Amino acid sequence: MHEAWRYFLLFFGAAIVANILLIRFIALCPFFGVSNSLETSLGMSISVIFVMVMATSVSWLAWNYALEPLGVGQFLYIPTFILVIASLVQFVEMVIKKTSPPLYRAMGIYLPLITTNCAVLAAATESVKPGFFTKLSIAYNYGFLESVVYTLGVAVGFSLVLIIFAAMRERLDLAPVPKFFRGVPIAFIAAALFSLAFMGFAGMFGL
Amino acid sequence: MEKERTLWGEFIKGFITTNPLLVLMVGLCSSLAISTKVENCIFMGMAVIFVLTCSNIIISLIRNFIPDQVRIPIFIVVIASFVTIVDLTLKTIPAVYERLGVWIPLIVVNCIILARAEGYASSAKVAHATMDGLGIGLGYTCVLLIMSVFRELFGTGKIVMFKRTIISLGTDKMPVILILFPGAFITFALLSALLQWYQQRRKPEVKEG
Repeated sequence: MHEAWRYFLLFFGAAIVANILLIRFIALCPFFGVSNSLETSLGMSISVIFVMVMATSVSWLAWNYALEPLGVGQFLYIPTFILVIASLVQFVEMVIKKTSPPLYRAMGIYLPLITTNCAVLAAATESVKPGFFTKLSIAYNYGFLESVVYTLGVAVGFSLVLIIFAAMRERLDLAPVPKFFRGVPIAFIAAALFSLAFMGFAGMFGL
Repeated sequence: MEKERTLWGEFIKGFITTNPLLVLMVGLCSSLAISTKVENCIFMGMAVIFVLTCSNIIISLIRNFIPDQVRIPIFIVVIASFVTIVDLTLKTIPAVYERLGVWIPLIVVNCIILARAEGYASSAKVAHATMDGLGIGLGYTCVLLIMSVFRELFGTGKIVMFKRTIISLGTDKMPVILILFPGAFITFALLSALLQWYQQRRKPEVKEG
């Protein structure tokens, strides 16, 4: 029970309390790029959850069974992880194209974009590199299941905010906005208010 | 609008016309997260200028040998090597390294650098690519500095650099929200609105897209 609660805290902390978009500002480029319409953000969200969890799993294995035992982790982790992510994205794209055309149509065009989604690299790095994991006050042992749960939390948090924000931005287009704030600036103001709301979660469950 | 490519023009365009943050809208993440302290921004700016210029030079040098199909992985490996240099160098200054944290490895996927490699350096002469890297890097740093000065000065009432107070407003009753998370979005929105105002004032007949 205690163990399950710890995993829940890890998930909740990663998804809501330290939300990757609004509290930590990671992956803002796809956030503002894709959040124009609800449909594209749904496709993007599914792809991100999928790729992120796989990328962290493979990176975790690479770190614990290849980089660390060989003692080259400190200076090879950046190229290794990014290559893992890039090739994984290519691989996933090919597999989906062959096995499930409808799914490919739904998320195919978003897959190449994910390579440069900083959230994927951030989650992979934080799951294995001690020292980065300081935001949440949870004992974190860098186990495999822990990294997967943490990454799932990050990805769900990303998707949640992306979808809510897209729904709001569709309405924002119709709103009467001062001339110089039209377009990008008003989106940022909206994000600021969102971020303010998410700050309210700080301290929940003692996180 | 096509101008001849002078070296100076390549350098200066990064400040306003193709400013990476305000116009191209790339590399937002790091700028918003880092700009709480002026000191952080100086280090981050130096790191980005270094990586951007060096990777632009290398990619421009080898642009004729790269097969088109595998160009993105090659770009990423080149960029990742320079980021590793920065990562290991900054580790010698533990206080800064701790604050910049995950943002150093994230320079690899900072869209500015890949966008310049893909969109510019892979089809430009070495000298032009160097100036482009320097200009874009400095443009990024300038916006970062403006944002951080605004946020630190009005959020905390003073600017502290290397443990010394540079400017102080003499009060600590300031809107703390500016150095918190929403402040980053608000500051960027104001800067972006300012740029739109400037552009529309100069060219009143051109409608924003």
